[in-house]
Amino acid sequence: MIAGVGHTAFGRLAPRTAWHLEAEAAAAAVADAGLRPADVDGLLTDPGPAQGILDGITPHFLRLGAQLGLDPDYVGSEILGGAGSVAVVGRAALAVEAGLCDVCLCVYGDSPLATPRSFEYGRGDEAVFGFFGAVGLHALAARRHMHRYGTRPEHLGEVAIAARAHAARTPHAEKRRPLTMAEYLASEPVVEPLRKLDCCLVSDGAAAVVVTTEERARDLRARPVRILGQGQAHSLSTYASPEHFERLPAARCGPKTLARAGLGPGDLDVVLLYDCFTIVVLLQLEDYGFCAAGESGPFVAGGRIAPGGSLCVNPSGGLLAEGYGGGMLHVIEAVRQLRGEAGERQKADAATALVSGHGLGMNTHATLVLGR
Amino acid sequence: MSATGPALPPPDALTAPFWEECRRGVLAIAACADCGHRFLPPGPCCPRCWSRRLAVQEACGRGRVETFAVYRRTYHPALPAPYVVALIALDEGPRLISNVVGCAAAEVAVGMPVAVRFEKAGDRVLPRFAPAGDQGGAS
Repeated sequence: MIAGVGHTAFGRLAPRTAWHLEAEAAAAAVADAGLRPADVDGLLTDPGPAQGILDGITPHFLRLGAQLGLDPDYVGSEILGGAGSVAVVGRAALAVEAGLCDVCLCVYGDSPLATPRSFEYGRGDEAVFGFFGAVGLHALAARRHMHRYGTRPEHLGEVAIAARAHAARTPHAEKRRPLTMAEYLASEPVVEPLRKLDCCLVSDGAAAVVVTTEERARDLRARPVRILGQGQAHSLSTYASPEHFERLPAARCGPKTLARAGLGPGDLDVVLLYDCFTIVVLLQLEDYGFCAAGESGPFVAGGRIAPGGSLCVNPSGGLLAEGYGGGMLHVIEAVRQLRGEAGERQKADAATALVSGHGLGMNTHATLVLGR
Repeated sequence: MSATGPALPPPDALTAPFWEECRRGVLAIAACADCGHRFLPPGPCCPRCWSRRLAVQEACGRGRVETFAVYRRTYHPALPAPYVVALIALDEGPRLISNVVGCAAAEVAVGMPVAVRFEKAGDRVLPRFAPAGDQGGAS
């Protein structure tokens, strides 16, 4: 049902810009529906080209679709940063379920090494203070966690060491040499409290997933993996939220998504957590309910998320050691584990998996729960 | 190292008045004329009630360090490392990203009271923050 509509005047409206006009149209549509701002819990946008969103790029699906010679019934590209891969697989499941398409191809790809672009610049006015890049942002979160809960560098180190130990059992992983705590602690500081070994790899690569109907999947070659639940939550108010550097939006969509799948954190055999920085793994262990708020540091101590530990986290090594796969490699590792095709790193009898994606300025989060 | 490099992003239409106030030595925060909510950065409407009736208030310039990070790598020639980026909670409530200056990076701490100090940087005057001692800070 469409419950409300609203728009501004159209024509020459300077000095007002799209930003002012969007606020007016949004308020008008919500008022037309008889609702209040606080009732809104979803946001979809269609930016016009003068907003700069298309500068220098063709929409991703348009370029890739043309190169693959496709004339599909459904298309889209998600601009959710590191949550994008998990979100597109979730969106594919919705489209297939709604009958909009039958075989939906989900593709992540990037080549930051072969075709580099500048990642250094922060957004807007923060850049003038030297607030550049994802590492600075996550350093603020790490400092906050250390201050509030007594989390130590060694706790972050446990995450980096576990990732390498997992990658040692992953033939295609980039960093397969095990790491010691002494090496981690001697790692060069980038933006303190984060070291180089707290940061994920920068990789060229692509990864793709095919989503189809249950009926179609039954007759295909590979053992199908079921999407048991999906969810998203986002924190767009950013610094205005007192929780911004302490909790991720995962704290909201994690429990909801698990409930949709009829599972709790203790029911998951394999957990694929987006790991652009070690601190994000710690935060998600709390947000998804694997441990209490503030306890993720001691939780990972002693190798709990390393191979043979009691919680199977990122068994392929993740962004920290397998390679930067935008989140799609996390989805693929979950599928491999559920198919029983993970070789030396196979978690015995893996029947359920969770996959997370986290992106932009710690603003976006998406979750999938998969089962066989 | 020369202090040139790629241009940093210029102020946009919504934040230009904030930077003009900085030139006058005033830290300006946005305030909603309908619900009274005070916020940064300035926007096209109140982020709490969506009213477009907005006013500007002068902040007292005092606050506390909520969290901070020490850049050990230089990402822009105009901003040589090391330097401290911090999230500052102003006494009036809004939080903003800025720098902590006037002390060594090793002396910065979460919870530290700070006061604004305007510094010229290129063609802007930046509201940076320096240690303020405990008198008159946020309680």
